[in-house]
Amino acid sequence: MRPSPGRHPLSREFIARHQRARIISALAEETVEKGYRAVTVADIVRRAGIARNTFYENFSSKEDCFLAAAEFGVNETLRQIVEASGKVDGWPARVNAGLAAFLRYVASDPALARLCVVEALSAGPASVERYEESVQSFLPLFRMGRKLCPHGEDLPGTLEETIIGGIFWIVYQRIIMGQAEQIEELRPELVEFSLAPYLGAEAAKRVAAEAPPLAS
Amino acid sequence: MAASADPPVEPARDYPPELARLPPGRHGLPREFVAHNQRERLIAGIAEAIAENGYSGTTIAHITRHAAVSRRTFYEHFASKDECFVAAYDTVMEELRERVAGAFEDEDEWPRAVRAGIGAMLAFLAAEPHLARLCMVEALVAGPVVVERYDAAIQSFVPYFRGGREGRPPEVLERLSPTTEEALVGGMVSLISRRIIAGKTAELETLLPDLVEFTLTPYLGSAEAAKVAQAS
Repeated sequence: MRPSPGRHPLSREFIARHQRARIISALAEETVEKGYRAVTVADIVRRAGIARNTFYENFSSKEDCFLAAAEFGVNETLRQIVEASGKVDGWPARVNAGLAAFLRYVASDPALARLCVVEALSAGPASVERYEESVQSFLPLFRMGRKLCPHGEDLPGTLEETIIGGIFWIVYQRIIMGQAEQIEELRPELVEFSLAPYLGAEAAKRVAAEAPPLAS
Repeated sequence: MAASADPPVEPARDYPPELARLPPGRHGLPREFVAHNQRERLIAGIAEAIAENGYSGTTIAHITRHAAVSRRTFYEHFASKDECFVAAYDTVMEELRERVAGAFEDEDEWPRAVRAGIGAMLAFLAAEPHLARLCMVEALVAGPVVVERYDAAIQSFVPYFRGGREGRPPEVLERLSPTTEEALVGGMVSLISRRIIAGKTAELETLLPDLVEFTLTPYLGSAEAAKVAQAS
């Protein structure tokens, strides 16, 4: 994706996008260290190695920057999940592929993942609302499983919400324990956890044992 | 609703003084009962102030006004708002943990004990919306020290579920992954927190059958878990 250096000059747009991404990841890293509330624009600017003006050209406030970071993280995760699950057929295999993509993304950017999964609840009402929206956007991906379940109608109404909450919690715990790099090893367990209520434990285990498609 | 079978919320006299002093909820102790202990008053004061202003919007002045103590008294007890919050958080969580433990231990069979424990948690939170908000929502806003305590508190519920492995046939044990219990606790807490944020704290007890079925299914299978969830 990155233009090779020297061959064409970096466009203004590329620099701007790059700057934005750098500010976002500086915010995510500062947030991991101090918690969202304690982070200042000065901290972000220092870590990103940019001028204060540059920060304000991109974001109106710390909160604005945080919301952009969370939105970026969630959109990017969803995009990768949809892409990965589109490569396979059938809902169980899609859940397997989607969770693999999700964990791969978390491993690639633990600070941003943590921001989206946990800190989002601590960053004020607008962020909490966004968090709720992101949970809602994951729900349909699981709810499809009810069609494959003979007693799908009778499953608890909140099942998908508790599954997603459980996955987020496990991911969060591994991140704070500094185990983000090994997080992809959790795929089989989380696939089983997600599929078992719909397919039964045996069938869920069989799907979890299949290797998901590789990243593109 | 299965919740109707749960024991009623304990009366106010069973609260530790810090919580008994709190105005929210159904216990409604008159001001005369206010404990004279300043520390307790400050703990109660911060809970009230947070219920009004959120954690970030709460100032020392809000806390001292609710506690009816001077600013100087505040600083004799706590170095900062954060430190006062930690004390309040620990008090609420201890109460919650005791209620869950008590309800759990009153039952002989594990599935019913889980149901009783979850029921006690939901009953406490529903009856005390301000404390529910403090320990399940505002704790996350209050910075790394409290977040660490929050994490540990949530993880402390894991052993209740892990007990479900005992006496299960080998084929069940074999397929339970090491993270099963953590995922169950995390899923449950996340649902509860989101309901509190959505302003549905009063309806938390209606989640009981869903949460019981969700948490028992890995151990008992969905048919058996549903039966326990729906039992009165």
